Amino acid sequence: MSNKYETFIGLEIHIHLEANTKMFCGCKAQYGDEPNTNICPVCMGYPGVLPMVNEKAMELGYKVARALNCKLSKNTFFERKNYFYPDMPKNYQISQFEEPVGVDGWMDFDTPEGTKKIRIHDVHLEEDAGKMIHAGDMSLCDYNRAGYPLLEIVTEPDIKTPEDTELFLRNFQRMVRYMGVSDGNMDEGSMKCDANISINLVGKGLGTKVELKNMNSPRFVRKGLSYEEERQADMLDQGKALTQETRLWNENRDQTEVMRTKEEAEDYRYFPEPDLPIFRPDQTFFDLVESGLVELPLTRKHRMMEEYKLSADQAEYIHDDLYLADYFEEAVKLGGDSVQLFAWLSSDVKKLLNRENLSLQDSPLTASWLTELLELISSEAISGKIAKKVLDFVFSDKKSPKTIVEEKGMSQVSDPAVLTAAVDKVMAANPDVVEAIKGGDNKQRGFLMGQLMKETGGKAAPVPLQKILAEKLG
Amino acid sequence: MDTKELYHTASLARLELDEKEAEKLSREVSQMLEYFNHMLELDVSNLEPTTHALMKNNRLRRDVVAEQTVDPDEMLENAPDLEDRFVLIPNVL
Ligand SMILES: [Zn+2]
Repeated sequence: MSNKYETFIGLEIHIHLEANTKMFCGCKAQYGDEPNTNICPVCMGYPGVLPMVNEKAMELGYKVARALNCKLSKNTFFERKNYFYPDMPKNYQISQFEEPVGVDGWMDFDTPEGTKKIRIHDVHLEEDAGKMIHAGDMSLCDYNRAGYPLLEIVTEPDIKTPEDTELFLRNFQRMVRYMGVSDGNMDEGSMKCDANISINLVGKGLGTKVELKNMNSPRFVRKGLSYEEERQADMLDQGKALTQETRLWNENRDQTEVMRTKEEAEDYRYFPEPDLPIFRPDQTFFDLVESGLVELPLTRKHRMMEEYKLSADQAEYIHDDLYLADYFEEAVKLGGDSVQLFAWLSSDVKKLLNRENLSLQDSPLTASWLTELLELISSEAISGKIAKKVLDFVFSDKKSPKTIVEEKGMSQVSDPAVLTAAVDKVMAANPDVVEAIKGGDNKQRGFLMGQLMKETGGKAAPVPLQKILAEKLG
Repeated sequence: MDTKELYHTASLARLELDEKEAEKLSREVSQMLEYFNHMLELDVSNLEPTTHALMKNNRLRRDVVAEQTVDPDEMLENAPDLEDRFVLIPNVL
């Protein structure tokens, strides 16, 4: 986009909270069950029922708000957001408006240009709607998801580019995964992200806001925003006015399409939910929130760079997945060299995992076994080349590297007596080659080394072997 | 309340009004709003709004799956129409 314009992007992120039950009733919060099995009079909006807040969801909501550096509410409450749509049998959604669990926070994330800060407007709890399938002239409703505990995180329009938006979302996903509050999977619908974007001449402030929906991965959020940025710039270049509207990303056509134009502002007529008392957290609750805080991904990444001398890219790779990050640190504690560990984890181990279609978690290679393998190399018990074979056997035989090396006799031979005997034998068998080398034809040395490796079954330690050979050749 | 505002309010509540009803209601609603205006004259700037008069204590529920007291199948019998276990309604997309 031409640098005449400035872009402002804000996000509304929804995450399904890791809870056993729904937000306001004891129904199972679970995917994939038969339609309309996890329902009860509360989530089906029957008259006279009494919703009650799930304490786990409340705790997770505060934890996220705390991790996002928000001011935490001392008296949070719920409101009814009124709208008519059959995905919600009550004709309102219980949400938060006046006094959400947290407001005025911020989150840092890394970009190639350095760390950037995004302000968080608020973090609030609410319930998800049911799932609808539209087919022909009928619509099908499944209310298993109606009432599912949701947390919505609203950012200020602080993000400047679609690329940064994707990076921010990946950072955010990692954060909720590290915290164990949500699995953050966008393609499975446990995390959703709507974006709003406006562009304007540099220095003129926010432009006309367009909302974007229907993007089910951080990559699609970026693509949708890029498309929209270009479209809006073209409109402005042609002197056309932009319309405040909601658009849908169409991933098959790689474009955004109008969903609805906002002629009048939506009027949800929020009012306090009379059935749910105000929640005033006490010190014990705040202590619980504090005690559940974990080292967040970005902090961990920066610490790993510092502590293990990893580059930004290396630390980015290792910290991306919580299990990998823990595994790496465990291996370092066991004595593994951090750079070697990174090298193996990001290449040979990764290749094997892909080939076997396994996650590191499910593979037989524990952190201590990987460390053991690296020790075998550094102590010259095996060569790096043999180590790759050993790794293969660890996966197929599910035995430790040491056991495999012993059982299969794969250790290097560095005993001088054995090596000298081999050198003598090979030299005796190839007198003309020996003569040629002695006459100055150094190219033939490679041939002798090859013969020696054959003789020792590839197990001769190359360094002492070369030394002995050099001595013999004079 | 002017008629335009009344029609807007009615449409938010999904109520249909004919002209006669609108005329009658417009008068009645205006009267109600006047009562509220009296209340609005009071200075409450230092008071916390009383959203919940009788519920003073926190009330949370443990995150444990509750036994189903009403059979979901029974609830589905109240649906206008079903297909498999889905509630079937006219297309609303
Ligand atoms: Zn329920």
